[in-house]
Amino acid sequence: MMRSIVLICFGLLLPILVAYRFAEREPRADFTYVNPSGVHTLDPARMSWTQDFRIALNVWEGLTSWDPKTLAPIAGAAYFPPEISSDRLTYTFRIREDARWSNGDPVTAADFIRGWRRAMEPGTAADYAFLFTDHIAGAEDYVRWRQETFDLLKSLDTVAQAVEHDAAFDQAAKDAEEHFSNVAVESPDDRTLILRLTRPCPYFIDLTGFPTLLPIHKSIELLRAQYRGAPYNRLGLVTYDPQWTKPDYHANGYSGLVTNGSYRIADWQFKRRVRMTTNPHYRDAARLACRTIDMLEFDNLSASIMAYESGDVDFLTDLSVPYEHELFRRSTNGERPDFKSCKVLATYFFNFNCVDEEVNGRVNPFRDARVRRAFSLTADREHIVNNVLRRGDRVARSFVPHDAISGYGPPEGLQRNVEESRRLLAEAGYPNGEGLPLINILYSPSDEKVCQAMARTWEDTLNVRIDLRALESKTFAAEKREHRFMIARGNWYADYNDPTTFLDTLISQNGNNDSGYSNSEYDDRLRRANDASADEERFRILQDAERMVVERDCPILPILHRVEMIAVKPYVHGIIPNARLWFPFREIRVDR
Amino acid sequence: MTRGLLGRFGAGIITVFFVYALTFLMVVSIPGNPLQGGERKMSREVEAALRSRYHMDDNWRYFADFLGGALHADLGPSFSYPDWNCNQIILSALPVSMLVGGLAIIVALMLGVPLGVVSAARQGEWTDASFLSATLTCISIPTFVIGAFLLYIFAVRLHWAPIGGWGTLAHLPLPVLTLSLPFLAYITRLMRAGMIESLGSDYIRTAIAKGVSPRVAIWKHAFKPAFLPVLSYLGPATAQAMTGSFVVEKVFGVPGLGQHFVNAALNRDPGLVLSTVLVFSALLVAFNIVIDFLYTWLDPRIIEAV
Repeated sequence: MMRSIVLICFGLLLPILVAYRFAEREPRADFTYVNPSGVHTLDPARMSWTQDFRIALNVWEGLTSWDPKTLAPIAGAAYFPPEISSDRLTYTFRIREDARWSNGDPVTAADFIRGWRRAMEPGTAADYAFLFTDHIAGAEDYVRWRQETFDLLKSLDTVAQAVEHDAAFDQAAKDAEEHFSNVAVESPDDRTLILRLTRPCPYFIDLTGFPTLLPIHKSIELLRAQYRGAPYNRLGLVTYDPQWTKPDYHANGYSGLVTNGSYRIADWQFKRRVRMTTNPHYRDAARLACRTIDMLEFDNLSASIMAYESGDVDFLTDLSVPYEHELFRRSTNGERPDFKSCKVLATYFFNFNCVDEEVNGRVNPFRDARVRRAFSLTADREHIVNNVLRRGDRVARSFVPHDAISGYGPPEGLQRNVEESRRLLAEAGYPNGEGLPLINILYSPSDEKVCQAMARTWEDTLNVRIDLRALESKTFAAEKREHRFMIARGNWYADYNDPTTFLDTLISQNGNNDSGYSNSEYDDRLRRANDASADEERFRILQDAERMVVERDCPILPILHRVEMIAVKPYVHGIIPNARLWFPFREIRVDR
Repeated sequence: MTRGLLGRFGAGIITVFFVYALTFLMVVSIPGNPLQGGERKMSREVEAALRSRYHMDDNWRYFADFLGGALHADLGPSFSYPDWNCNQIILSALPVSMLVGGLAIIVALMLGVPLGVVSAARQGEWTDASFLSATLTCISIPTFVIGAFLLYIFAVRLHWAPIGGWGTLAHLPLPVLTLSLPFLAYITRLMRAGMIESLGSDYIRTAIAKGVSPRVAIWKHAFKPAFLPVLSYLGPATAQAMTGSFVVEKVFGVPGLGQHFVNAALNRDPGLVLSTVLVFSALLVAFNIVIDFLYTWLDPRIIEAV
């Protein structure tokens, strides 16, 4: 009996081990780095995570790129700078003659229009579609029409209304090109791209390097959904086979993913690895020092640090482990110069619920700006940054980080003043905190330390009772969206290099306005800033608007501006810490 | 016997269906928007397009569509990984988990059975006591502690094994060993208990009294009935080792199915949650049927009961 068991076990074990022993092994890449949470998508239109952007901007190239030192826009697939009309509305880009796709095809203006149209189509469901609808003339109307068409076709999508549905579908398919022709993007020839904005936008050139505005090769059309001979799905949406991002996908004559950046995707193994190799047709292909680059995926940050320490990995893009403060300490005392800090364009803050009269059956005192201001005046940010987190973050008293956006100086913000906060609380009808209900703070578990410290400060200084509610991240987001909080943790990473990337989130109708703050004066100031003709005037208006929210109305309480740590082996050159965590692989050289 | 096994098969299908229905109910009841990636809110247009793409407007339709697709081996799209469908995710992760889990069970079986037998044969001696202590330790210490410890010693300090990744023989020993330890401990204890009971039975005492050597009595006469509790444990244990190795996968960076169990639930990815639950429940039912079949082979009296 025991002999049978041993034989069965060995019978199962041996072939597996032999197969693994002789499995083909690829040589190590020239450069290996870890993206801890891996790749969510390689579809540039659907990306919203930094690690996805990092790959996209290395395997694709937009009209412009960003200088890794200054983050200023530089030439990309188009010559720089573009021609800008005197009214600052029309931009003319000239595509470089030597811009090539990884299959050798020239990059054309039509490729950009294809990528942009795809990103603004509701069927693509791009998070950043607003970059088109907010800025490009005619885009908002086009998207609205597409949405109405979708709503109509969806309402008719029943067996009983099949005839009406198909008639409406045919009409919509016929009208689509005419509607899109009103979007102010055109290509008079293969190398010229002309676009017109709805209003002057001083940071628009910066946006043209953003992943949502990348070009898409024409081969994707082989994978476009068709219905009744038209290139739309049954509900009139433009959709593609989601497998189009795979380098080895060949359905319907598709040749696999074609990109135009310095690198191309050679292999993508789900949750394991993305291997990139040089794009042989890239203009500087011969100059690229690393021929192969591996992005490994480690779910466990500590394991990725161990892999780095053992030399299996050359670069880590994220060191946010529970012992990050220790890594920061070693970095600053010179013990580990390979651990570097990046002052990212991000603000960590608290939202006060400005709208709801009641929260979970209790009166919400934060509808009163005096209470919000009182709570803001007692916040001890230095304690959070220097004693609680200890990882080199910068104290934040403004929403927009200081020294981050050239020409813009954020307001000073509120200094700690406990006496004034007590006075304000008494004025609001809560002398010495009496009469205040149990205050709830909503957060996700990673914010535990900060929220505990804040709660303690408020309890000690304002004599209030705090109820801390830690929720798993999805539930936290849902509760925040439904406004079931009095105070909730917020975190905002800039999308582009302008104060409005932060300040727009507090406009009354903005979908990311978690506090529910609504002030027509603030909205009006942001509108006036958009219409301002000179940068100085625009920044002055924005500064006034920001002062309103961080010093007077206080819908948010800025706590800190994030510093994120990376680890770069000493033999790796060309990785420059910057606010966007943008590391162009074409600059990297490895001297092991 | 065939009718009995067919009956078990039918009951298994019904079980899997109920597990699916219950999971579906939980998936649609829990708070959190599966379409919401981070904290940045999506526009109405984006949400409408995604709801339409994934048939999320109508729960009943989604319930039926998913089930229909699953019957045709199409588990549909994943919300968290839009470039991949659930079939690709399962096919990429399941072989890895089956390999690590299968090897862990084989290791546990090959070491646990002899250890249990030796422990029972030397009941009350120091060998027995030390085996019992060791197994209790293996059961009590969480695998993430054992895993991290092994990783530190063998990968970081001694450089005998790689720290993470997958694809070579060198990636196997540490996760397999870590995963096998609790199973090894259970098997040792089950085997010991079964063997002690078996050795105490009348027919073994009679055989020994008639001059059969203890070695023959143990391995030839007592082993088969003593192994039955281990066998019944092997079904759920194998399924658990193959699909529930989340912690070990996390510690060693093994790209297996366990991580999708947890991450899909955290990401509110209904397609992937339902797919992983279906695969797990189907595996569990299948292993139990196989074990039932082996049971009848080892102990023919059970055929009558079946």
